[in-house]
Amino acid sequence: MTAVERPIGEDELHAYVDGFLGPARRQTVERYLDDHPEAAARIAGWQVVGERLREAAAWKFQEPVPAALNITRLAEARIANRWGPWRMAAGIVIALAVGAGSGWLARGSGEIGGAASGGKQVAAVNGVSGAHPVQLAAGQPAQLEGRLTQGGGGAVTPPDLSKSGYRLAGGQVVATAQGPACMLLYDDPQGTRLTLLMRPAQKHDTSATQFAETGDGNGGRAPQLAEAGADSGGRTPQLAEAGSANGRRVPQLAEGGGGSGGSAPQLAEAGNGGGATGQAAAGPCP
Amino acid sequence: MSVLSKLEENIPSLRRYAWTLLRNSSDADDLVQDCLLKALDRIDTLRTASDLRSWLFTIMHNLYVNRWRRMKLRARVTADEGELAVGPSQQASVEIQDVLRGLGSLSEEQRQIVLLVAVEGFQYGEVAAMLGIPVGTVMSRLSRARDRLREFVEGQERPLLRRVK
Repeated sequence: MTAVERPIGEDELHAYVDGFLGPARRQTVERYLDDHPEAAARIAGWQVVGERLREAAAWKFQEPVPAALNITRLAEARIANRWGPWRMAAGIVIALAVGAGSGWLARGSGEIGGAASGGKQVAAVNGVSGAHPVQLAAGQPAQLEGRLTQGGGGAVTPPDLSKSGYRLAGGQVVATAQGPACMLLYDDPQGTRLTLLMRPAQKHDTSATQFAETGDGNGGRAPQLAEAGADSGGRTPQLAEAGSANGRRVPQLAEGGGGSGGSAPQLAEAGNGGGATGQAAAGPCP
Repeated sequence: MSVLSKLEENIPSLRRYAWTLLRNSSDADDLVQDCLLKALDRIDTLRTASDLRSWLFTIMHNLYVNRWRRMKLRARVTADEGELAVGPSQQASVEIQDVLRGLGSLSEEQRQIVLLVAVEGFQYGEVAAMLGIPVGTVMSRLSRARDRLREFVEGQERPLLRRVK
């Protein structure tokens, strides 16, 4: 017990007040305070300050959490926000339809018509997206599939894009000018998002597949998208990709063979600056 | 326990801290909402759940500092005018009014630190990491904050004296 104890520092006085000291050091501080009334008064004041502060704030801690801060709701809202890129895609597809970028002109007039109708459809979807669509996260793919099938008016099997590195992130049933459609959202580990719209094929719909990609026009690499033919369920896949803002890479998608003869895939890529700078590229025709 | 319910557990203390910083319930809840949305966006970056509380407070601190400066000024004006918001059912005692007025008189940094330590119970090292400052700075600001607030709770800083200034 003869060892000289190290002097009490101000930090230790705080630690004493805040209960961060071990029992031995705590006793040392208490002995020190017994001998130093001025320090003891200061510490007592600090303790009162802490009590008053806690007392002043306690009601807010005990208050019921308002609905606006309901964590489940906020989580759902966040999923809804992830559809943001879709709106961008819609805008660019419309720009393409109106402006008919140079690439599209080369594709022939019939396909320009195809793009235009795609644009209209996207506009219709965009217009109704605020109207409480059935919206799901892709926690259980089977459940998502079931709900989409129920709401979308027919069997829906979200395409597996895992080979391209995309994972199904969510989906919702949306209204379009041609009736209900399923909008599916995919993403990859880099955060690149891909939105896909599926709806039942229309009788007058001659172009089986339409693609519109909005990616990074500066990448210098044209995307390769190829999908031929509607599936046996008579669904017409339409792809619209909203590229990531930095456009690191262009996803490569290849699906299906030539199912129904004569259906030519259509692709449109819009650069960052808008539809007018887009390049068109086509997948292999069957 | 799911991540969402772990987040949910921390909402009351986030609201308390936001309110003591801003002393305005609606601004405080806006701040908490922003914080929760950001947390949901970044939940993948959270490695261990034991970090969750200080991780959330760090997010809120950054939001507060970066995006809420105007609101902060508004809150300070409110405090100076003596319109101290208190609990709806609570006729604030003179003692509580004193300490809240003292809080309003502190610098932003002092206020954050004394609240994080004395009300939220964070360790000094956690506060330093949260605010991105050395522990020594935390300790010296804590001393100044506590000494200043002591003047208010001990009645050395009454409203009349402040008006004379």
